[in-house]
Amino acid sequence: MMDAALIDARGLNKSFGTIPILRGIDLSVAPGVAAMIIGRNGAGKSTLIRLLAGLSAPTTGEAMLFGASSRTLDAASRRRFAIVTHQSFLYPNLTARENLQFYGDLYGVPDSLNAVPKWIERVGLAFAADTRVRTFSRGMEQRLTLARAMMTRPDVLLMDEPFAALDADGVALVASLLREAIARRCAVVLTAHQPVAIDGLKFDLYEIVRGRLLDTSREPLAASFRAQQTG
Amino acid sequence: MAGFVAVLRKDLRLELRTGESTIALVALSLLILVVLVFALDPVGGVRDAATAAGALWVALIFAGMVGSTRAMLSERDHGCIRALLLSPIDRGALYAAKLLAAFIFMAVAEAAAVLLMVLFFNLDFDSRLLRLAPIIALGALGFSALATLLAAISGRIRAGDLLLPLLAVPMFVPALIAGVKASGAALSGAPFDAFAQWIKILVAFDVIFLTTGYLLFEHAIAED
Repeated sequence: MMDAALIDARGLNKSFGTIPILRGIDLSVAPGVAAMIIGRNGAGKSTLIRLLAGLSAPTTGEAMLFGASSRTLDAASRRRFAIVTHQSFLYPNLTARENLQFYGDLYGVPDSLNAVPKWIERVGLAFAADTRVRTFSRGMEQRLTLARAMMTRPDVLLMDEPFAALDADGVALVASLLREAIARRCAVVLTAHQPVAIDGLKFDLYEIVRGRLLDTSREPLAASFRAQQTG
Repeated sequence: MAGFVAVLRKDLRLELRTGESTIALVALSLLILVVLVFALDPVGGVRDAATAAGALWVALIFAGMVGSTRAMLSERDHGCIRALLLSPIDRGALYAAKLLAAFIFMAVAEAAAVLLMVLFFNLDFDSRLLRLAPIIALGALGFSALATLLAAISGRIRAGDLLLPLLAVPMFVPALIAGVKASGAALSGAPFDAFAQWIKILVAFDVIFLTTGYLLFEHAIAED
């Protein structure tokens, strides 16, 4: 018997004014499954992540996490969910350690005093643990954002272009974090401009084209993406 | 409770580190009092307690608006407010933490403003200032409660900083009248019974806006 989906979108539509951004999105992600959604700039990837997270209300349709509307999640469900977006959610005038400690306290991370330095070390920022985030490069900020999201050990993970601004080591870091998350049956949705291959991980690959979500197992990738995959 | 403590501790830590809100509030209070001193009596005549109380409350209102706006603005940087909305923290606890932080910043600024008022309005440093303290505290609490709620709304829209005073000042008028009357009476040495009814109005205002803010903050801060 299949596990119930942790992430479920049914007939999601989103318009800004009269401009439709997303049209009839259906997406279901079970525990231990990773879905990668690719699309060009402006295709609607970030909007979809925001809708799934409950940060934005759909025009019609429903986005659900853990079987409940993502707009009305209770505290227990919010504790099981993490997100990485273009915005880091980090306080520029706090240090890396203070930022993680704050989120650790907010989420009730067990033994956060030990977990925080462990995660700072894990994302390769031990040398900057007590430096204010406002002095960080974009890549360093992205690494700390990953630590912020992963230290809560979420059961649902939404990532909007997690590879952006990262060097090769950073990409490898995301890959290893994703492998661990999937291994403990976390449901993942991540977006990217183009398909990304990660050793040991198999993604359900979708493409957003003009606001519609195409399942690439049934519909071919756009020609430009196909060329990148085979090239 | 853990979320409340985490948010409050974070806000206080940020303020201790940068001093942005407190410095801005104290500077604004100083500026307002200086302007009012010259505007009301440029040649240095007798300054009465009622005028001093009025000037103090003008400083309280404008400093309070800056304080509440800044407390919410720090959450808009890097989208941190979204992180708070997605986190397990209860919305009421989030409101209480932001409100308490704004109140503390305002209280520090008001303490400085009272000292400046005494100097500028030729008042005495005596026990009458102690009678003033709870009145100012009630006013600052009520204004923080109102402005924190309104700052959550105005922060979501363009030019919201302009909208905040347009919403906050008219709504604060009942408390302003009560606060000025009570402060004037306290500073002039009148017995407590003479201004007890004004204190009751301040308390009622605080209860109304603390309750309203606690109940509505979730809707005020939610994104569309």
